[in-house]
Amino acid sequence: MSRLPTRSDGASPFSRRSFLVASGAAGVAFGFSRVIAAIDPAVPGSVPAPPTGPLFEPTMWFGIDAAGIVTVNIIRAEMGQHVGTALARILADELEADWDKVRIVHVDSDPKWGLMVTGGSWSVWQTFPVFSQAGAAGRIALIEAGAKLMGANPAKCTAKGGAVHFGGRSVTYGDIARTGAVARQFTPDELKALPIKPVKDRRLIGRETHSLDIDAKTNGTAIYGIDATLPGMVYARPKLPPTRNGSKVVSVDDAAAKKVKGYLRYLVLDDPSDTVPGWVMVIASSYYAALKATDLLQVVWTPGPGADVTEQTLQDHARALVARADGGIQLDIADDDSTPDFGAAAATTIEQIYTTATVLHFQLEPLNALAFEKDGVFEIHTGNQWQSLILPTLAKALAVPETKVVLRSYLLGGGFGRRLNGDYTIPAALATKALGRPVKMILTREDDVRFDSVRSPSVQRLRMRFDDGGQIQAMEHHACAGWPTQVIGGPTLLAKTKKGGQYDPFAISGADHWYDVGHQKVRAVANDLANTTFRPGWLRSVGPGWTNWALESFIDEAAHHTKSDPVAFRLKLLTGKGRNAGSAPNAVGGALRQAEVVRRVAEKAGWGSKRPADTGLGIATSFGQERDMPTWVACAAQVHVDRATGIVRVEKLTLVVDAGTIVDPDGALAQVQGGALWGLSMALHEGTEFVAGQVKDTNLNTYNPLRIADTPDIDVSFVESENVPVGLGEPATTVVAPAIGNAIYAAIGVRLRHIPISPAAVLSGLNAK
Amino acid sequence: MTSFTINGRAVTTDVEDDTPLLWVIRDAIGLTGTKFGCGIGMCGACTVHVGGRATRSCITPLAAVEGAAVTTIEGLDPASNHPLQRAWRELQVPQCGYCQSGQIMQAAAMLQDFPAPSDAEIDAVMTGSLCRCMTYVRIRAAIKQAAAEMGSKA
Amino acid sequence: MLKRLLLGAVVAIVVGISAFCVFAWRPAIAEIPQPARDSFAPALVARGEVLASAGYCASCHTAKGGKPFAGGYPMATQFGTIYSTNITPDPETGIGKWSEPAFRRAMHEGVSRNGAHLFPAFPYDHFTKLTDADVAALYAYFMTRTPVRQDASDNTVPFPLNIRLLQAGWKFLFFTPGRFRAEPAQSAAWNRGAYLAEGLSHCGACHTPRGMLGAEIKSRAFAGAPIDGWIAPPLDNTNPSPVPWTQAELVAYLSTGISRYHGTAAGPMGAVPRGLSHLPAADVGAIATYFASRNGSAGHDRRGEAAIAKAMAADKVGTGLTYDPAARLYTSACASCHYNGRQLNPLRPDLALNSAVNLDDPTNLIRVILYGVSARDGAPGVVMPGFARGFTDADVARIAAYLRATRTGKPAWSDLETKVATIRAQGQGQ
Repeated sequence: MSRLPTRSDGASPFSRRSFLVASGAAGVAFGFSRVIAAIDPAVPGSVPAPPTGPLFEPTMWFGIDAAGIVTVNIIRAEMGQHVGTALARILADELEADWDKVRIVHVDSDPKWGLMVTGGSWSVWQTFPVFSQAGAAGRIALIEAGAKLMGANPAKCTAKGGAVHFGGRSVTYGDIARTGAVARQFTPDELKALPIKPVKDRRLIGRETHSLDIDAKTNGTAIYGIDATLPGMVYARPKLPPTRNGSKVVSVDDAAAKKVKGYLRYLVLDDPSDTVPGWVMVIASSYYAALKATDLLQVVWTPGPGADVTEQTLQDHARALVARADGGIQLDIADDDSTPDFGAAAATTIEQIYTTATVLHFQLEPLNALAFEKDGVFEIHTGNQWQSLILPTLAKALAVPETKVVLRSYLLGGGFGRRLNGDYTIPAALATKALGRPVKMILTREDDVRFDSVRSPSVQRLRMRFDDGGQIQAMEHHACAGWPTQVIGGPTLLAKTKKGGQYDPFAISGADHWYDVGHQKVRAVANDLANTTFRPGWLRSVGPGWTNWALESFIDEAAHHTKSDPVAFRLKLLTGKGRNAGSAPNAVGGALRQAEVVRRVAEKAGWGSKRPADTGLGIATSFGQERDMPTWVACAAQVHVDRATGIVRVEKLTLVVDAGTIVDPDGALAQVQGGALWGLSMALHEGTEFVAGQVKDTNLNTYNPLRIADTPDIDVSFVESENVPVGLGEPATTVVAPAIGNAIYAAIGVRLRHIPISPAAVLSGLNAK
Repeated sequence: MTSFTINGRAVTTDVEDDTPLLWVIRDAIGLTGTKFGCGIGMCGACTVHVGGRATRSCITPLAAVEGAAVTTIEGLDPASNHPLQRAWRELQVPQCGYCQSGQIMQAAAMLQDFPAPSDAEIDAVMTGSLCRCMTYVRIRAAIKQAAAEMGSKA
Repeated sequence: MLKRLLLGAVVAIVVGISAFCVFAWRPAIAEIPQPARDSFAPALVARGEVLASAGYCASCHTAKGGKPFAGGYPMATQFGTIYSTNITPDPETGIGKWSEPAFRRAMHEGVSRNGAHLFPAFPYDHFTKLTDADVAALYAYFMTRTPVRQDASDNTVPFPLNIRLLQAGWKFLFFTPGRFRAEPAQSAAWNRGAYLAEGLSHCGACHTPRGMLGAEIKSRAFAGAPIDGWIAPPLDNTNPSPVPWTQAELVAYLSTGISRYHGTAAGPMGAVPRGLSHLPAADVGAIATYFASRNGSAGHDRRGEAAIAKAMAADKVGTGLTYDPAARLYTSACASCHYNGRQLNPLRPDLALNSAVNLDDPTNLIRVILYGVSARDGAPGVVMPGFARGFTDADVARIAAYLRATRTGKPAWSDLETKVATIRAQGQGQ
């Protein structure tokens, strides 16, 4: 028996002095203040260090102080991608900065930053040109100023390692900044015209590095939204209404809640923005008091729409919609948007329906926000992925101009798209306005799940027509789901077809694939019942999470239908011709690059070699998120199926990714590992259902995301490339489920068309054979 | 009044004794490295050590730790340099990082019981600690690296 | 004739009542001036302290958050709530004016100084076995405590059960006064253990089933019984633990609160290892010897080895990839502490061997899952959290059923979810 440490063990380095902690129930005066104007995730406590001496700021994206510290302003949210490190390295590379002197700061929602959104795997892709040019501008200005200080011709000077060099002499960036002599500024047009280094001269991009946010995340000093506190604040927890939309409070009884020590009052929210209809906030002097009092508070509501909706009614509704010939929006695939002929002319036709279940974000840090008013400005302290989207709503809710609201950035304890929807900031803001004091709102896990913008259930119908020779003549893909961009984003964010049809591009992306299939039709259909029952969310990859499940399962079925090898079948269709030829700068090479990752993954995973009984290899591929920014991915899943129990064991996942230039190799690897495992989780483990307008599983006692024991071997490799860097956070998510479905078919000949795949579904598939 | 020690320091509090230890640590004592994840003891983000054993603080009432020695991530090692923390940094395990305090505290307790853990043992003991970014591959590797380092010193 | 019969009956009743009163009546023992603290020999006081600890006097005579021995601790019985009394030497509200004979009479006969019969919630039916010398030491200890002025709380025992005189009837039926008598055929250690277990430490008060009127059923001594919302497991040969409770295991359990092969001391048992910890090791060994003899563990070692091997195999069940919802609940909520793998670690209590999983009644397991084990109880300084807040009744029932099915060969528990709901409604208790 190992010895228990006794209370008197003197090993501790901490003070032995006893201290007294008061509950503060009499008033509310906690001594801690942990509000931050902007965060540096590399620093314990996340507060950026003030600059030394004068600051040289050639563009708004970075500054250099007299100590030579380069501080890069990051407008993206840090939620596990180490985004600040990747972006800062782009800038520092062009700037020729000394990486050891580079700091990052995640900034607030000042309008000067422009669009602030962290999603769609866009961050590196969107920032690469901007930061390259900002770095180049800084380098040019510093060389000019350094040359002046050394009395040299700028053309004869070079920049390297955070200093300007001339002959044997050099002057550091810090020394240049200290003189305060550089005032050079660049206009946006000047910036755009700046040349960018050739690939061979890169010193930081593509090299291994230690991400700046890592260390503080291993010792408890990283500060997340939930950690923000202010003296004098009160705690709030919502009492959630029976429906997401349209609930109205009839009466509130707090007789029982009043018995909780620390309970202060309740607040029926009046929300001009209609973001949180029917919310009642419970205010208390401690979070536990708020938690208990909320349980005891009795509220009567008139529910809004959807109170009787179930998963089945959502799916039935979607099935009816995709079965109809009319409705929905047909995407502009070709000039000719007529409906392909599936009539008598076809030699053979295959048609299948694929479905996916409702999925929760379940980001580990429950939704929270600290809100208060200071000098006439409402400050919202929280982690958020899309400040620009929620600011106007906050202004509307608070009835103030947008200039009177600021969102302060914190680390996100997981995003995965949940915090693209900033709806959770509204109740905290309304409560602080009503109470006139700082409010810290924290949702319990169950509250968080019930208030989630879940991944909508989906139903898709795919059809393919073959001629006598087995050649594909036409293909249709009809996808029906809730449309997050319509419900949360609003009409201005929807995509438009040439005929003026509006649709949610994120809910259909992936269906407009790069295979040559002849006459192609893609139709996006909104599940209006989903849209009114809940607020569908963007969840890691959004539409491709379901469209690619259907597409890549169906392509496999088509291969088997024509008795073709699934890899050869795909390669044959990835010709890179016509609309699939690709275009500069983002999609250079087009479908040929997709063919290459398929070829490589097949080879790495040993495609075609003999496998033990009931073991199969399945392949799937995708282009990530959007045709505009394709990340080419292929996955091979090796699975074993236990025929007695129906248990599917994924033995290995092999992925090959072509994301163009890789800025941060280890960070890229981490994103692909995590994304692929998310895909696995949604393929085999995760999924819930609506019951009476609410999701059924609200915590981990019944909701089962992937855990370490479910995690297989995973082998990831990247295609070396000098192409434009594209996204990495989501693409791997889209290929795993169809790879597993296809592997199950290869192992036991059972085709499954719904995720998550349950052992029961496998068994019933085996019985039906 | 409840008295216990936290990271070696004696503390006495009048916070109500059914309050989960998690909220006492975070809100009354002000150590925020310990995280709130599920509130039902099934994600592990709130894991601390009580008497050296990994304990889910979100479902441990304050009264239960009367007289006990509590250690949080902030007190695991005086210089935040526990072999696990080093391995976590070297292998760049954290993504969002929110669960990692709990992962490290759980792993530290595990290595006392399983100094050279197998994959199966890591899976069995660490499955209670959810990582929503799914850094599991690196968690496994980091535990083994730290175990090897600790083993070679012993 | 009828008249005479009636008269006879009345006379008989009157005589009967009178006789009962004579039988039942106890005189008051005169108050004495409060003895000075230094009138008690320190060595005697010290011995009294050890005895008071091993008799768990503080457990029942101290209310939650209250001063030691000042009483007020509620004991819920089937007859109403009885509050313990103030046994500090406060002259007004405690026992400050009690003489040693008055104290001894209370201990040996269950009669208060003023002559009132005490409720048998006070285990005088065990303390009657104590030697006069031990009682004297206890008296010395209590008379030298810090006096606390605290009035007794009113019991909620309803009329007519609250008539103290009637307690004499209970005694007539169930109580045999008398000091402990050694069994000459047994060893000295056995007899010492029996003296402590049957007398001072009153183990039967919890572990022996009680009849309709609340008296211990002598013929079923140590057969196990429900107590304060828990199950006190059988200490005789009907104990269901897969590994026999040998003398060595009993010693480990009683002196540390942990048994490698049975689990930890929780609930009302939590106070026992703390109480016994002041006794000399030989005394704890003697208690263990006594119970090892009563449960017949000697000669069952082989059963233990087989059970341990089986438990180690069962440990791995449900870990690793699993889709079974009950197994996932277990691996996510329990296995991080309870999984053992290669060797048994007493601080990772093995659920296949655990008493709570093997008892016929799931109460203890449900209680521990719902409310956990505090740092004071069980393995000292270590906590098991409680899952009451987050787990539904169905979740708790699912885990209990799963453990029962995968960790034991015993029949499934019935009506688990209802039992969880009932125990949840009872609350955590004291």
